[in-house]
Amino acid sequence: MEALDLARLQFAVTGGIHFLFVVLTLGLAPLVAIIHTRWARSGRALDLRMTRFWGQIYVINYALGIVTGLVMEFQFGLSWSGLSHYAGDVFGAPLAMETLVAFFLESTFLGLWIFGWGRLPKWLHVACIWLVTATAYASAFFIMLANSFLQNPAGAVVKGDRMELVDFGAMLTNKALIFSFPHVIGAGLFTGGMVLVGASAYRLRRRSEETEFFTGSMRVGVVMASIGISLTVAFGYGQFGGVQEGKFNGAAGVPLGLMMEGGNLFSFVVLFFMLPLIRSLPRRRWAHPLLMALTPLPFVLAILGWLAREVGRQPWMIWERLTVADALSPGLTTGMITTSLIGFTVVLGLLAVTDYVLIARAVRRGPRDLALGAADDQCAPALSL
Amino acid sequence: MELIWFAVFALLLAGYFALEGFDLGVGLLMPVLGRTQEGRDRMVAAMAPFVLAGEVWLVALAGTLFGVYPALEGEILFGLYPLVVAMLLGWVVRDAGLWFRRRLDGAAWRRFWDLMIALGSLTLSFGWGLALYAVAAGPGVSPLHPVGLLLGALVTGLFAWHGWTFLGRRPPGAAGVPRPGRDLLVSGALAALPAVVVLAGGAPYLLEHSAPSSTLSVLSVMVLPFAPVMVAAQVWVWRTFHPGKGTDRIPSFF
Ligand code: HEM
Repeated sequence: MEALDLARLQFAVTGGIHFLFVVLTLGLAPLVAIIHTRWARSGRALDLRMTRFWGQIYVINYALGIVTGLVMEFQFGLSWSGLSHYAGDVFGAPLAMETLVAFFLESTFLGLWIFGWGRLPKWLHVACIWLVTATAYASAFFIMLANSFLQNPAGAVVKGDRMELVDFGAMLTNKALIFSFPHVIGAGLFTGGMVLVGASAYRLRRRSEETEFFTGSMRVGVVMASIGISLTVAFGYGQFGGVQEGKFNGAAGVPLGLMMEGGNLFSFVVLFFMLPLIRSLPRRRWAHPLLMALTPLPFVLAILGWLAREVGRQPWMIWERLTVADALSPGLTTGMITTSLIGFTVVLGLLAVTDYVLIARAVRRGPRDLALGAADDQCAPALSL
Repeated sequence: MELIWFAVFALLLAGYFALEGFDLGVGLLMPVLGRTQEGRDRMVAAMAPFVLAGEVWLVALAGTLFGVYPALEGEILFGLYPLVVAMLLGWVVRDAGLWFRRRLDGAAWRRFWDLMIALGSLTLSFGWGLALYAVAAGPGVSPLHPVGLLLGALVTGLFAWHGWTFLGRRPPGAAGVPRPGRDLLVSGALAALPAVVVLAGGAPYLLEHSAPSSTLSVLSVMVLPFAPVMVAAQVWVWRTFHPGKGTDRIPSFF
């Protein structure tokens, strides 16, 4: 393979792994925030345990989102310096905003939330997880803003051999952005809801203990999945108004078709089966294997969505302005990209598998001996260093 | 406006070295001071609440590089290709070690990730020395020059010392009153010094390659209003987890 194909493969692999974890983060962050708030108001022990259990799953998942995100951020400079050369004056701005306004705050507040158990006043602690949620969504927004610029370079003009930002308002109201951002958010909520449902189904089917805990979790999951799938499908169809002409005539039509099939099917299952049965679903053990089997599918659909969007953009890096080939770093050799491709794929791939094993184990173990918030109930005496 | 953004860039760079420097330093010291598992647990617990708030300075620095100096972003990162890849992998492995080490019981599991934390911290610290040399020396120069290696050792040493100061200058487990405060400020300033010197040398070059004012004004409108929030969030972290306020209590989440 040529350096160009390898560089594309590297971006697709790291970006794909990154999004698998991000889509769940987008769904779990508001869920955890809502449950945490519920506990702060009710003071019920069950709500506290739910916050800590789903919070722990959220945080384990978040770890991989961070480390893969680091690789994503630097990849532009490593493999695609042609992009920053041609359009960095435009494309760099949303990425800078993402790191400064969104991620900087998200990570800082998440540290406060994770380590603030037993240290922060109750409502300030709740505020932290809401701030984490808000900044995570801001982060997704800025990334989608940057991506939408590649799909449809609104708000910028070509001056000489570079692009220049002339109208930030037009960039913000890009027709490639306004429906795709809520589509992705819907996909996140849907995925998060389905993970709650699937994990609860697993627990309810296997053991009789913790029935109350997982019955409640499953119901929350069903509500979230219903909201999520409705948003996803509505804004999914809405997106066609903003899609570049002829985009799905080629290879990109396949993942698009599969995503839509899956989305339509899921809206049936969620809205006409799971939601009406929300009261009794936790008791209907025959349904639990089905619910468990559905859990990975939202992730698959989300990856298919990205494939449709990005494969459909080929051969353009920036639609009708800059080709992917021209965006490649000049002088990037096959040897360089092969080495980094192997390094990133092996390390991130192993970490991703490890992370999923850890999540699965956390689900199997259930809400006992949780590390998150342990300071609260165990409070080992602070031996001085 | 170029000056404001240069100041932001400089602040982020110095902030990263001063605030993440001790986390990396603690990681470097883990095999040296943390002979026992409990010792290492306490070292990690002491830095844990600061890591997330510390490493974001580099993420923000890279984003600012892209937004404010787009012409240099590709040049610098691509110019240091193998080094950047190695440092990224080191960073990833260090972070994974922190997140994963307590997620399973078992002595071998935790020992393995503790080793990864140490190796990742070493790769990053030493890599920073090499990178600073290579950036200062200009394009086409291999970072593996004796001066680069020397700088790598210097940065590693400074980070380790900064981490040592952060831990209160005592091996974990020993009693005594922590001495943070002024000592930590001094070691932080020194840890940031090499980066600040290199940056000062490159200031004219950076300023010359700033993004056009149309880009910078959009960035200013979007980002600068949040600057107080960012500062406040960092201060909040330091007030909540003031070193010496029993932050080393275990079990910690990391
Ligand atoms: C009937 C249902 C659906 C329709 C009509 C639909 C429509 C679309 C369209 C047209 C795009 C491509 C936009 C472009 O190329 O610019 C897209 C992308 C995408 N879809 Fe879907 N979709 C549906 C269901 C889903 C589901 C269920 C998921 C995930 C759980 C999902 C996740 C995504 C993602 C992550 C993208 C890429 C980002 C974006 O363009 O928004 N979609 N979808």
